[in-house]
Amino acid sequence: MIKVPLVSNTSYIIRQLPTPTAFIDTDHNIVQTSDTWTSIFNENGESSKSKSLFAVFPKLSHKWKMVLDNCFNGNPQPMGIHQVIDAKGQELWFEWTNAPWYDMDENIIGAIIQLSNITDAVNNELELNKKNLLLQQQTEITKIGRWEYNIVDNQLFWCSTTKAIHEVPEHFSPDIENAIYYFKEGHSRNAISMALFEAQNNGKAYSNLKLQIITDTGKEKWVMAGGKPIYNKGEMVGLIGTFQDIHEQVEASIKTIDNEKLLRILIDNLPVNVYIKDTESRKVLINKAECEYLGVKDPKEILGKTDFELYPYESAEKSRAEDLRVMKTLKPVIGKETVNTRLNGKQTSFLSSKIPLLNNKGIAYGLVGISLDISKLKEKEKELRNIINIASVQNKKLLNFAHIVSHNLRSHSANFSMLLNFLESEKDEDEKKNIIEMLTQASNNLLETLDNLNEVVSINTNTNIEITEINLNDKVLDASQNLSAFISNSKAKIENNIPADFKVKSVPAYLDSILTNFITNAVKYRDPERESLVVLSAEKKGDYSILTIADNGLGIDLKKYGEKLFGMYKTFHDHKDARGIGLYLTKNQIDAMNGKVEVVSEIGKGTEFKIFFNEKN
Amino acid sequence: MKKISDITIIDDDAITVFGLRKLISSSVECNSIESYANGKIAIDALTDFFNNDHQIPQIIFLDINMPIMDGWEFLEAFLELPIKERIRINIVTSSIDPRDQKQWEFFKSKSHHLITFNQKPIDRNTITEITQVS
Repeated sequence: MIKVPLVSNTSYIIRQLPTPTAFIDTDHNIVQTSDTWTSIFNENGESSKSKSLFAVFPKLSHKWKMVLDNCFNGNPQPMGIHQVIDAKGQELWFEWTNAPWYDMDENIIGAIIQLSNITDAVNNELELNKKNLLLQQQTEITKIGRWEYNIVDNQLFWCSTTKAIHEVPEHFSPDIENAIYYFKEGHSRNAISMALFEAQNNGKAYSNLKLQIITDTGKEKWVMAGGKPIYNKGEMVGLIGTFQDIHEQVEASIKTIDNEKLLRILIDNLPVNVYIKDTESRKVLINKAECEYLGVKDPKEILGKTDFELYPYESAEKSRAEDLRVMKTLKPVIGKETVNTRLNGKQTSFLSSKIPLLNNKGIAYGLVGISLDISKLKEKEKELRNIINIASVQNKKLLNFAHIVSHNLRSHSANFSMLLNFLESEKDEDEKKNIIEMLTQASNNLLETLDNLNEVVSINTNTNIEITEINLNDKVLDASQNLSAFISNSKAKIENNIPADFKVKSVPAYLDSILTNFITNAVKYRDPERESLVVLSAEKKGDYSILTIADNGLGIDLKKYGEKLFGMYKTFHDHKDARGIGLYLTKNQIDAMNGKVEVVSEIGKGTEFKIFFNEKN
Repeated sequence: MKKISDITIIDDDAITVFGLRKLISSSVECNSIESYANGKIAIDALTDFFNNDHQIPQIIFLDINMPIMDGWEFLEAFLELPIKERIRINIVTSSIDPRDQKQWEFFKSKSHHLITFNQKPIDRNTITEITQVS
């Protein structure tokens, strides 16, 4: 017998049930629904009575038939959570429960299905999952881990990222003691202990603590730790915080600092002047060498200044124009030879380069200047050029000497050959005698010439000449003594104004020769019209001691004979004793001692010779 | 052989002067042979001849290296004298300095006189050759 539920009496009660409820018979047909059910699933409040449950919810799984059939047999089972679309098309989540429907005789005549709307709960859960996922992704990307510490039950939680940073396995369960122990002994461990203490006892949050940990596998790592207390109803219940792996950044920044230090050490210790100028040609960096060159101890005294404050206006203007050109054309100036004059007038030769500094858009934001001080090199170059000049002058002198030697020897040999030729064919005995006399004369001349040449050669080849400091007065007295007969015969007067302690650096023998020659010449070429007076004086000037020998003699036409004055066998006076060798020899001796001779003369007035003795010898 | 009126020797070396005189007088005929010990004495004498319309020597033997006024300085002064005749000037030297050779070429090119360059010693043949009126 089929039991038909009596609904009419109770239907009104059922309709008022606050939760959506449906009564179905054993054929799954909806017998009665509460209004709340109807309002959710039926448009216009139309009842779905006598429709099959599966017709109303076509998406319901057929598994449910089994669940419901079990229910009909008195074994209700949970039906779970299912999503349905309500009459307005909204997605709703319901938890379905069922219970057997008994008639008054305790026979199961169907099932009662009740729904509880858990849409909000489901949505919240979804949101939570999403958030968790997001958080996880975020931690994975940023490597920022989380941790939570529950003060009440002394529990510490690490997220997987935090665990990964510590390089502990996923199942590792940390506690507050070993967590602190992971921090490197010393500053890091002390700092984190202090921070935790402050947070727990004084409620102070901490952040951006850059510390080092030693991971479980023994690696040193830089981390950034932060933490803050959390409260429940005004009572501190725990701490939460972040834990970030910043090893690479810290290492990179340490490396950057190291590189900057290295660069600075390099720049400072380069033996060249280095500076950086901005677009206004203000110096923004200078190295030690540049500081030293500019005569300051602290670069700050120079930074921000332009060339206009460091150099004379004209050169600053030139330098600024060059800076602008380099920054505009982006073409560097490399290895240009310059002479820098500072405000104090000191000059320095530089090999200087200016290289534009480009930003990432390829526009110059300044320039770097590198200057190598080549003053010493330049000086050496000058010295070298001087030496070359001296060598070339000496070469010329040597060639000239060779011609003199050749000329003199040839002229004597020509005389010999001529005279011998005459002798051969001469018949006259008297003439023969005459020729032989001349041959003797020629032979004597040759000997004298050879003596002279020898003397010249010995002066020029004796490189080991010993220069000593000699009292000039002593030597002047010696020379006057030796020449006393000649001087008194010539009725000449020697006036010696040389200071008693005046000393010169010279080869003693050369000094004798120089004094004898110049005094002899001064007296020899006296003006017969007046009494001969020779005045000797001396002074020091620069690197030289200067001996001046002035006479009131005939004088020499320097315009005519200046070039030949010290030439060999050049005489300018019609004088029987003039041999043209004395001045030539003394000049050679003076040259050999790195000295020089200057002469001033006026015909009819006299001549003044200045002999320069080099004090640097 | 044409007879030569006057010959002048300018040289500071007595032996050379003696030799030249001996060679010339035995090789050519001439009225007189004068000699001067340096360029200064010679140019003073010749200038005096010119100013007083005396005969200028037709042939001059000239040494280069001499005191007071050397051969080149003499030549420079001599060429300034406006002498119409063509004088023969024989430079006699023992110098092999190329600069002397150049000086000779320079003077030769700018003068109408005949200037020759001769190395010592001079033998009889050379004397005959260079002691001819130009």
